[in-house]
Amino acid sequence: MDDKNVLLSAKPKPKKTFSDYWSRYSTVIIMVLMVIVFGILEPQAFMTSKNLIKVIEQSAITILLACGEFFAILLGGIDLSVGSTMALSGVVASRLLGFGFSTWAAMFVGILLLGVLVGTINGGLVNLTNLHPFIITLGTQSIFRGLTVILSDSRPVPATGFTQVFGGKLFGVVPIPILVALLVAAILTFFTLKCKAGRNLYAIGGNKQAAWFAGINVKRHTMLAFMISGVCASLAGMVNIARLASAEPAAGTGYETFAIASAIIGGTSFFGGVGMIPKVVLGGLIIGIINNGINMVGLSSYYQQIAMGSLIILAVTLDRFFGTNSRKR
Amino acid sequence: MEQFLVEMRDIDKSFPGVKALNQVNFSLKPGEVHVLLGENGAGKSTLMKILSGAYEPTNGEITVRGQTYKQLTPKLSQQLGISIIYQELSVISELSVQENIFLGRLLTCNKLGMTVVDKARMNQETEKLLTDIGLKCTPQTRVGYLRISEKQMVEIAKAVAFNADVIIMDEPTSSLTEEEIAQLFGIIRRLKAAGKGIIYISHKLKEIKTIGDRVTVLKDGEYVGTHNVKDVTIDDLVTMMVGRELQSKYHATSHDRATLGEVVLEVSNLTRKDGYVKDINFKLHKGEILGFSGLVASGRTETMEAIYGAVPISSGELRLNGKQLRIRNTYDALKHGIALVTENRRETGFFHNFSIRRNLSLAKQLKDSKGGGLYGLVSGAQERKISAEQVRAMQIKCATIEQSITELSGGNQQKVILGKWLAAGSKVIIFDEPTKGIDVGTKSEIYKLMRMLCEQGVGVIVVSSELPELLAVCDRILVYYEGRINGEYTIDDATEEKLVYSATVPREDA
Repeated sequence: MDDKNVLLSAKPKPKKTFSDYWSRYSTVIIMVLMVIVFGILEPQAFMTSKNLIKVIEQSAITILLACGEFFAILLGGIDLSVGSTMALSGVVASRLLGFGFSTWAAMFVGILLLGVLVGTINGGLVNLTNLHPFIITLGTQSIFRGLTVILSDSRPVPATGFTQVFGGKLFGVVPIPILVALLVAAILTFFTLKCKAGRNLYAIGGNKQAAWFAGINVKRHTMLAFMISGVCASLAGMVNIARLASAEPAAGTGYETFAIASAIIGGTSFFGGVGMIPKVVLGGLIIGIINNGINMVGLSSYYQQIAMGSLIILAVTLDRFFGTNSRKR
Repeated sequence: MEQFLVEMRDIDKSFPGVKALNQVNFSLKPGEVHVLLGENGAGKSTLMKILSGAYEPTNGEITVRGQTYKQLTPKLSQQLGISIIYQELSVISELSVQENIFLGRLLTCNKLGMTVVDKARMNQETEKLLTDIGLKCTPQTRVGYLRISEKQMVEIAKAVAFNADVIIMDEPTSSLTEEEIAQLFGIIRRLKAAGKGIIYISHKLKEIKTIGDRVTVLKDGEYVGTHNVKDVTIDDLVTMMVGRELQSKYHATSHDRATLGEVVLEVSNLTRKDGYVKDINFKLHKGEILGFSGLVASGRTETMEAIYGAVPISSGELRLNGKQLRIRNTYDALKHGIALVTENRRETGFFHNFSIRRNLSLAKQLKDSKGGGLYGLVSGAQERKISAEQVRAMQIKCATIEQSITELSGGNQQKVILGKWLAAGSKVIIFDEPTKGIDVGTKSEIYKLMRMLCEQGVGVIVVSSELPELLAVCDRILVYYEGRINGEYTIDDATEEKLVYSATVPREDA
């Protein structure tokens, strides 16, 4: 007890239970399993370096969305509007391009201003009404989609300028979108580990009441979490229009499911207060592997949806019984 | 011999490790209001739960309507005409008055070979019941639209509809206004006249004088005695309720108390927006521990929440060391050095998803931050330093600071919460029920810590339901009654009797 070194030493683990292993390695285990399964099913097409790079490239958007979604779930909430936000930001930026804005100016507005605005609306409504974010973002999901369709005249808006920014590859190998996604993930990892605001978000997610009584301004932090989610989704929107060279009004439909699945498979607790960004990135990759693998195996994309839905339920169930939160309940 | 509706003889009830009731006697005559009196934990609820069949007694017998039973079941108790109206009303707001009254045993009739609800008969019977107890509403009125007192009457109507001879009322007036209380008393008198027996549980001693016929006092599970209400004074009742040996004392010696130091915290005209506390004024001096007494929900905790900025206020001024403070939220309070150790550790105290280290360093980190906690970086080195210091100073029993706080005992968790506020250098620390659910050893450690903080010039406020605790620790005690300060005693002056009196009997000028 008196020995300082004892106190500061790492957490002792007298006996590790399945629960301990699960909360630590679940994401990695699932990922390895997926690679093995598809590797066996389709060794020629799946396990090529070209295909694996493609998987990573395709995962960029999911990872971006998931990194934002992480913060909404960390608070014990959810953000269902990320898919719509992604489409809205794409259309807004493309329209601005059409009005003669430079690529960078259009991107700035599309990502930062729009993302922050969307987050302010979501977070502001949650704070104002005290309703569960599920209800608020279910509503804004529809509102943002409607705005997207109105702004685009329900037709794809051409947007060639962005392809130059996001279309290239670093050293001719690494796709820019995945670099952007990893950079965002790195910044957010730093934020969650080192910034007080990040720490406070974990506190609020763990125990909102206690956070308020500890002196944390819960409303401001809620706002911040939804802003991060909005900005990440807008950024995903930019990557998406760069890939397609146009902004589709229906882009990102159903992508909130990908984002939520990535975050949860990445070990983020649906009960709030537990999770980390690097694992969410792995979660996003797993979703990418599933989507790509099912394609490679020759199954229709509808099976992706079945696989995705099953995984969400499985991951939350396992968290319920073996996760960090299972012990307190 | 008089005919009793209910007679309970030599009732014992033991829970593992605790004797909740010891040789308790209780009887109820037709047409009387028999008051059951005692502090929290005296055994009133346990006795009534035995009568309603929720608990079985360890020993003793119960005679109802001439039949003697070893124990009752909820169903049997109901069949015997015993009905209990709980403090938290159990009416269903979405249903109508008649549906509530006939809940679970709707009247039915046969129509076209099918069993259907007989609305006409229910309507008729409900109307008769409502006229009987004097509730002015139709049988179809939704209970949600009624006032609390009216909901209570629906409960009483329900009991009458069950043909109850014995109606138990658990603190029926706790949320009623003067006028509503008068109305309730009217109904009780009518029930009495109809030959029903009422068992009336209350803390409000003046009410007991008004409505009670006989009174039985319990203390710590012991039967103190039964008296005719008109033969005893309020002071007698208070003496019967309290009076047990005092714990060891932790307050300052008397020469310290003779001169109060400068004012640390001054609260003036504090009123909460929701009206739970009104016009609170007090001063906390350097070198004294100020105690707050009163019944649960009388405004003690509610005042502390307001001071700490956790709930909005409509008026009020706070001065810390002479400087006026503007506190809009808990972050402002924390920044100014006010700390609140809340009543419920699990719900509002600690973070189950955080290690001991993160729990201990949270307040300090926040205090050094800006913008409601948004700006600033976490310092791992500082966290470890703070945690190691507090673990040693508070003698927190843990393997390492990286352990989850959920692995600690209640006492050690409380020490972590205290350590958190100490690490933040708090100037005023408010303790709300600081030793609830905590072992005796840790209790005395916490008392010593309070005294030590007080000597170091930290303002210490203690809110507690345990009178011996307040008397052992505090130098001055304020007593709440229904959202206002109803009494003030210095420690030399304070006795359990006086505190109970102030907590239950409103001051004349109030």
